[in-house]
Amino acid sequence: MIPVLAFVLIVIAAMVILIFKDWRVNSVALGVQYLAAFALVMLSWPIGLAVVKLIAGWMATAAIATTCMRQKKVESTPEPAASLFFRGLAGLLIVLVVFIVAPSLQANVFPQVELMILQAGLLLMGMSLMQLGMNSEPYLVVISLLSFLSGFEVIHAALELSTLLTGLFVLVNLGLALVGVYLVTLAGEVDNPPKEGDAV
Amino acid sequence: MTLSTPMIWVLSPIVIAGVSLVLQKRRILSLVLTSLTAFGLALLAAFFPEDLTLSLGPLTLVFDESLAVLGRQITLAYEIFPFIAFIFGMTGLWSLSGNLPGVPAVFSPTSLVITAALTAAMGVEPFLYAALLIQIAVLFSIPMLTSAGEEIYRGILRYLVLMTIAMPLILIAGWLLTGVVILPPESPLIGQSALVLGLGFALWLAVFPFHSWVPMVSQHSQPMVVSYLLFILPTTILVFGLNFINRYAFLRTSGEIFNIIRISGVVMILFGGILTTVQDNLKRGFGFSALVETGFSLLAVGSIAEGGLVWMLMLFPARAMGYYLWGYALTRLESHCGSLDITNLRGCARQFPMLTAGLLLAQLSVAGLPLLASFPVKIALLTQIMTAQTALGVWSFIGNLGLFIFTIRLLLNFVMPIDREPPRFWALTEKASEFLPVIIVVLVLVALGLIPQHIDIGLTNILTAFPQLQ
Repeated sequence: MIPVLAFVLIVIAAMVILIFKDWRVNSVALGVQYLAAFALVMLSWPIGLAVVKLIAGWMATAAIATTCMRQKKVESTPEPAASLFFRGLAGLLIVLVVFIVAPSLQANVFPQVELMILQAGLLLMGMSLMQLGMNSEPYLVVISLLSFLSGFEVIHAALELSTLLTGLFVLVNLGLALVGVYLVTLAGEVDNPPKEGDAV
Repeated sequence: MTLSTPMIWVLSPIVIAGVSLVLQKRRILSLVLTSLTAFGLALLAAFFPEDLTLSLGPLTLVFDESLAVLGRQITLAYEIFPFIAFIFGMTGLWSLSGNLPGVPAVFSPTSLVITAALTAAMGVEPFLYAALLIQIAVLFSIPMLTSAGEEIYRGILRYLVLMTIAMPLILIAGWLLTGVVILPPESPLIGQSALVLGLGFALWLAVFPFHSWVPMVSQHSQPMVVSYLLFILPTTILVFGLNFINRYAFLRTSGEIFNIIRISGVVMILFGGILTTVQDNLKRGFGFSALVETGFSLLAVGSIAEGGLVWMLMLFPARAMGYYLWGYALTRLESHCGSLDITNLRGCARQFPMLTAGLLLAQLSVAGLPLLASFPVKIALLTQIMTAQTALGVWSFIGNLGLFIFTIRLLLNFVMPIDREPPRFWALTEKASEFLPVIIVVLVLVALGLIPQHIDIGLTNILTAFPQLQ
């Protein structure tokens, strides 16, 4: 029951991140996505190690969300419905492709990985790549990269268990989030240069 | 606690870089600290005893070559020391220029961290985990590419994205390859694994068509920083790639794979060379020239059966010095002249003869002009490819001409008299502190070109760390 729920949550979260550009919505979706990914990683790893990924993911999400909250540049503007519809359609296309490709990939390449884990991982990676192709705003790029890595980690966890690897992934995720914070802040400074007398 | 080599070349530079970052406001102190550390570590690696025992008077320190980290190991064996000495030495050289105009304050400490992370990548076991360490190095490089207040350029985001996508591909390829070893040669999984691996390396090395970030970043970021990054990342990634060829017999013995690598190299040389020729911005031109250099490295790897790996390694010092001088001259010229558009630099040689000469010589050295550093290796490489596959040789030659043509265009613009009041007459306006590094590096480039056999830093010896490749 839990894996199915996690899978559904991943699909919804990934679709939300793909369709909407509002940082608030995306941050919540990213948090939910990490929770669902944690549930799937738990199928392959002991809970003590799997929870590391959840905590690191939530820390990364919090760092990005907090920074966006402080920046005026990332305030979202209403988008035309056609744009949302198009992105939703692109997302559905990814879902369709993953459902077609995953079974044969599992049979030929990853026989030891459960189909649901493979599907979830591929979905996250596919949706993130689609998102990366459609956006160039720093915070969206970083959120997409975090999602991409999260999808990869879900699959890789079923292939290998290593404490060092987990530690390195945590470093990469947090490093990516910090780079995101840096880039979002920089973009904000360019857009709204500090006025004379402003507190630094 | 047992002392180990990773403690010296991985942990200590990270700690010192941290201290240096704290001292960022005292820029000279921070710079001296990082440069001295990098040079010190380079010298230590160059002269470290083979038995890993250091005797300092009555004190005898015995070093272990491995350090256990979270159940795995980082091993820096004696055989890899020449490469460690080389990358730390070069990092020291670049760090010395950390206070040039426009170079971000974080450059020197960050470059030390990047080199340390890449050194760890050379020794981590299982070696596949190196992909994550390389990614960490990439993440560290972002702040120095964008200094505060500058616009975020798409190139940097593209660089981040492509490098991040490469990492999972390498990890997955590595996992697939462990299973491929026991498969029959006709298994489709072998080709698929090689494809995933190739894709990962193509992303890492900015092979066409994943190259777009290189000219973009090169054009908009500080030249000293870009030259360092375009030197250190491909160099380390190429050496890391030797692990795959060393471990997997099917890769080593596959003529098709090396042919593809060779063709990719020629495409890079041709593509980069032609695009370099038509560039009007010097920084962007440098980016495209770096693609040509990656092409030559791939050409060398593709010629593995003819001893190409030795050429690949021999190209590194010449390239490093050339890139350093290139970055240095561009930085100085940018601070003097503003924009580095070719039209803006008309008559520039009349005011800054030493800097412009340095820039031209750096370009010619990288291009492989006789008597300069890259010539001995490039002529050998081109002769070999000309003999083996004439068509590829001709295309490589044409591509390589691009940088010569670009340099000639630049030279004509530099010396061109222009109608300007007051007119620019020939005069040495640079300070000695500005052109002294140019003279020193040019002398090294000439020495590397004239007497390469006497300036052997032992880089080719690192092949002993890869028993199957000797």
